[in-house]
Amino acid sequence: MAKPTDIIKKKRAEAVSRIIGKGYLSSKRVYVGMATCEIAAGSKEVMEVFKNAVTKGGLTDVYLSQKGCAGRCNLEPTVEVIEVGKNPVRYGKINPEKAQQIIDKHLKKGEVIKEWVID
Amino acid sequence: MSKEYIITICDGTGCIQKSNAAIRKALEQQLNDHNLTNDVRVNLSGCLGMCDKGPIVVINPGYTVYGNVTTGDIPEIVEEHIVKGKPLARLAIQEDHLYNRFFRIFGDAKFFGKQMRIALRNCGIIDPENIDDYLSLRGYEALAKVLTDMTPKQVIEEVKLSGLRGRGGAGFPTGVKWQLTARAGSLNSPRAASDEKYVICNADEGDPGAFMDRSAIEGDPHTVLEGMIIGGYAIGAKQGIVYIRAEYPLAVRRLEKAIADAREHGFLGKNILGSDFSFDIDIRLGAGAFVCGEETALIRSIEGGRGMPRPRPPYPSVEGLFGKPTLINNVETWANIPVVILDSGKWFSTVGTERSKGTKVFALAGKVVNTGLIEVPMGTTLREIIYDIGGGIPDNKEFKAVQTGGPSGGCLPAKYLDTPVDYESLAKAGSIMGSGGMIVIDQDSCMVDIAKFFLEFTQNESCGKCTPCREGTRRMLEILTKIAEGKGEMYDIENLERLGNMIKKASLCGLGQSAPNPVLSTILNFREEYEEHVKDKKCRAGVCKKLLTYEITDKCVGCGACKKVCPVAAITGTVKAKHVIDRNKCIKCGACFSKCKFNAIIKK
Repeated sequence: MAKPTDIIKKKRAEAVSRIIGKGYLSSKRVYVGMATCEIAAGSKEVMEVFKNAVTKGGLTDVYLSQKGCAGRCNLEPTVEVIEVGKNPVRYGKINPEKAQQIIDKHLKKGEVIKEWVID
Repeated sequence: MSKEYIITICDGTGCIQKSNAAIRKALEQQLNDHNLTNDVRVNLSGCLGMCDKGPIVVINPGYTVYGNVTTGDIPEIVEEHIVKGKPLARLAIQEDHLYNRFFRIFGDAKFFGKQMRIALRNCGIIDPENIDDYLSLRGYEALAKVLTDMTPKQVIEEVKLSGLRGRGGAGFPTGVKWQLTARAGSLNSPRAASDEKYVICNADEGDPGAFMDRSAIEGDPHTVLEGMIIGGYAIGAKQGIVYIRAEYPLAVRRLEKAIADAREHGFLGKNILGSDFSFDIDIRLGAGAFVCGEETALIRSIEGGRGMPRPRPPYPSVEGLFGKPTLINNVETWANIPVVILDSGKWFSTVGTERSKGTKVFALAGKVVNTGLIEVPMGTTLREIIYDIGGGIPDNKEFKAVQTGGPSGGCLPAKYLDTPVDYESLAKAGSIMGSGGMIVIDQDSCMVDIAKFFLEFTQNESCGKCTPCREGTRRMLEILTKIAEGKGEMYDIENLERLGNMIKKASLCGLGQSAPNPVLSTILNFREEYEEHVKDKKCRAGVCKKLLTYEITDKCVGCGACKKVCPVAAITGTVKAKHVIDRNKCIKCGACFSKCKFNAIIKK
C-alpha cells in the first residue's frame, strides 16, 4: 500500500502537468484579482476583456488565471503580468479600456505601461 | 547587461545583527563602480524568515536567494550575477518553505517589504478555485506527512512547540487547546465519555471593517481545510464544520468547491490518502449575528438553537457541539497549521516575539493611504504598519489614534505608536489584538463619535441574555448620545467609566465583557475631548452635529447658492449682499457648507 506521502507526490506531479497542459509555460502569465472586493471594484468586466482576447481576439502564448486578493484594497482591480526571466509587472485600478490597452501594448508588443504600474 | 535587476537585502532583526548594513554599503559601492546604479534597484525587506542563514540577499528576476553573505562576497555576486547574468551557485541556497511565496511576485514592492505571509501565503498568487494550483505549491503535503510519519500526539506537540496562539483575538495557546480536546473523552473526563468529537472553523467574521477571514477563504480555501483535517486527526474527530456567515456568498461558493474537489482527490471522506483516518467537512451558514462569533453561541447556532452564549466552563474542548468535545479555531489559526507542520514548529517559533509567535493578519482601513490586507510578524510596531506599509495619513493630516480589535478593542493615541503588535503589548496599552481589524483615525474624527459608533454596534448585537450587557450598553449609549448632543454633565463621564467597568466584569460572554472597551479607552486617552463636549459644548473635529454652528463670513459674495440648497430655508439675504444663517432654523445638514464655492461658510 502506497504511503500518503507517495500518493501526494504523485498527485502534485499530476496537478503540475495539468496546469502546464492549460498553458502555464506560455511566455506570459496574466492574473486578474477576483475576490469579492476586486469584483466590486469591477474586476469581472476586466477579466471578460482578457478572456475575450484569448478566445476570440487572437491573443496567444498567454496563460490567463484568476487569483484571490493580495491585499491592495485601494488599488483594485489589480492585474499582474508575469514573464519568465523578467520582473513581474503589477497594474492597479484597471478598467476594461485599460485592460484592452494592456493587451495591445504589453501583451502583444511587450511595452510596459509605466503609469499604471503600482509599487 | 540587458535587463533590470532588483536586489533585496533582508532587514529583519536577525540579519541586522549580522551586519546587513555593511553589506548594503559594499553592494552600493560595487554597483557604483560598475556604473550600474540606474539598472539595479536595491531594496530592504522585512524578515524573510531565514535567520539561521542570514544575512540574506535575494536577486530578482529569477528569485535567487543568497545566504550567509559577507561583504567579501559582494564583488563576486555583482560581477557574476549582475554583469554576466550567471547566478552564483556557491552562495545560492535552495529553500522550499511554504511561507513567503508571495515574495517572488511582490517582494520588491514597498507595501510588501515589511510583511511576512504565512496564513495568506497563497492569497493573491493562486487560482483559489483550482485545486491543482494549491497542490502544485505543496498543498496537502502537510496532511500526507502527518498521516505517514506522525502520531496524533506528535502533531499536538509540534503545534505546541510552534507557540501558535488563537488568532480569533483571545490568543489562547492553540496546542494546549488541541491537547485538552484530544484528552477529553478519555477516563480523565467522564462527563463526556464518548469518542465522538468535532472540529469547527470559526469563520463568522463580524467586526465592522474586518475582512481577514473572507479574503483568506476567497484567496486560498484549501489551506483552511487542510488545517482542519490535520486538527481532526490530532484530536480524533471524524467531522468538521465551517461556520461561515451567509453574507460572504463568494467565500461560501469557493469553500463548497474546495470541499468537493478535496473529496474527489481523497483528502476528505473515508480512508484519507489510503490511511485508516476518515474525516469530512460540512458548511453551516450563519445569519450574520455578531454574537455567533462567540464560540458557545456559535455552537448553539449549529445545533439549531438561537445563537446565545452560555457560561464556561465547561469549555467546548470538553463539552461542545452536541455535548461532545469540540475543537474550535479561527480561520487564520487553521491556515497556519500546514506551515507549522511542513516548515516545523521550531521554525515557526523563531518568528515573532517572546510570547506571541508567528504573524498576524490585519485589515488596515480608515485614514491611511494604502488600505489593505496585510500580514506582519508579531512584534512589528504600529508605526511600521501605519507609515511604512500603510503609507501614512492622506492629505498631510495629523494622526490621532489607531483602533485595534474592532468593537471589542480600544483606541490608542500617538504615544503608543511604537507599541509592538503582540497580545501582551496591545493589552498593556489598553487595547486588544482582536481578530485583526485596524482602523486609523485622523484629526477629522471625533473620539466621542467613534466610541458611540462602536457602542451602537455592540448594543444592537447584544443577544439580550444577560442584564449587564443588555441594559448596561443601552444606558451607556444613552449617556454618550447625551454628551454628543451637548447635554452632558461632568458626572456623566464618571458614570460611563463606572458602568463600563461593571459591564466588563459582570457580562456572560466576550461580547459584553469587551463592549465598553472603545468607550473606556477613549475616555482614558482622550478625556479632554469628552470634557470639551460637556463643558464647552464643543466638538473639535466638527463631527457631532448638535454642537456645530454654521456661519457665513465676509467672504460671501451673495451668489445665493447656499440659500437655494438649504432644505429648511434657514438662509436669508439679497443678491450680491452677505447672506445670514438663522441658527434656530438651521438643522446643521452641512449642505450650504459643501455648496459654497468661496469658502465663505465656516463651521465652528
